[in-house]
Amino acid sequence: MKKTFFLCTLLLATAFLFAQKKITTSATVAFDATTSMDNLPKAENKTVIAAIDTKTGVVQFEASVKNFAFANPSMQDHFNGARWMNSDQFSKFTFTGKIDDLSKINFSKDGSYTVSVSGNLTIKDATKPLSVTATAIITGNTISVSSSFSIKLSDYNMSGGSFDSGKVSKEPKISVSAEFK
Amino acid sequence: MKQSKKTRSLFKKILVSLLIVLLAGAGIYWYVANETFADTIKRRSAFTVNALDFIKEFQLNDTAANSKYADKIITVNGAVSEIEAADTTVNIKFIDTSTGSYAIFAFQQQHLTEAKTLKIGDMVSIKGSCSGGIRSEILGTEVIAFKRCALNKK
Repeated sequence: MKKTFFLCTLLLATAFLFAQKKITTSATVAFDATTSMDNLPKAENKTVIAAIDTKTGVVQFEASVKNFAFANPSMQDHFNGARWMNSDQFSKFTFTGKIDDLSKINFSKDGSYTVSVSGNLTIKDATKPLSVTATAIITGNTISVSSSFSIKLSDYNMSGGSFDSGKVSKEPKISVSAEFK
Repeated sequence: MKQSKKTRSLFKKILVSLLIVLLAGAGIYWYVANETFADTIKRRSAFTVNALDFIKEFQLNDTAANSKYADKIITVNGAVSEIEAADTTVNIKFIDTSTGSYAIFAFQQQHLTEAKTLKIGDMVSIKGSCSGGIRSEILGTEVIAFKRCALNKK
């Protein structure tokens, strides 16, 4: 009897812990590095893995570099090439951070909440701190998160002819959206 | 006089040659800049695989599997394990339930409507551009992602 009770409690506790951490494998991250000289450098990845812990506010994103899809084949090759993302060697972009003001969000109440998220973004072999503003919309059990921000590619050791010639933006705009159910 | 005529003729030839080279270069640049990916359904697959065997290949040795499959058009056959829909898009997944490792397929715009009609358990054949496998630190599983996918009509 005692063993059964203990096992049931353990199972319930585990289920509760998993309920705090919500995961999606279909978050979307898009970047736009277009300029007035070139409208090709933009792409979207619709299979990004994202997690949010509603108890601790920890937020994680993981994106396969090669699954960023460009419209133009030449741009796709350049992006993954050794001189740019070198995706054969560096296969993921990752972000790990935390919601700074978690108390601002009431996950049990439907509504739209604007929060600040701070953490570290890793591109290739460079990891830099990043703070962004995000919107979290709570609808029942669903948390929809979105954010738009820019990054400086020079912070991640990316520079060269295409930037200097004005064909690729040195500060591309990044858009993130994720739906956690 | 003769030399002057010869010089003018040579000069004209050089000028015309340069013009041809410039026009050819401009044409190539225009073609490359405006090229888009073909409909995946029309592209030839490098491999046709069974979903679970494909996922297991990555679990066993993802370096070898990436070398074999990444950046190629692959046709994957299996039963739909999961459908993830968000806003205007839908992703289809084949999952190895013993490990949680999975292959995930993001569709080309022209094939989205068809993909949205799929149900869990449907036996399907999906053709797409394989982006290779990564080991997810978040999930602790192998994840093989595809882009520009289409439902392959057998």
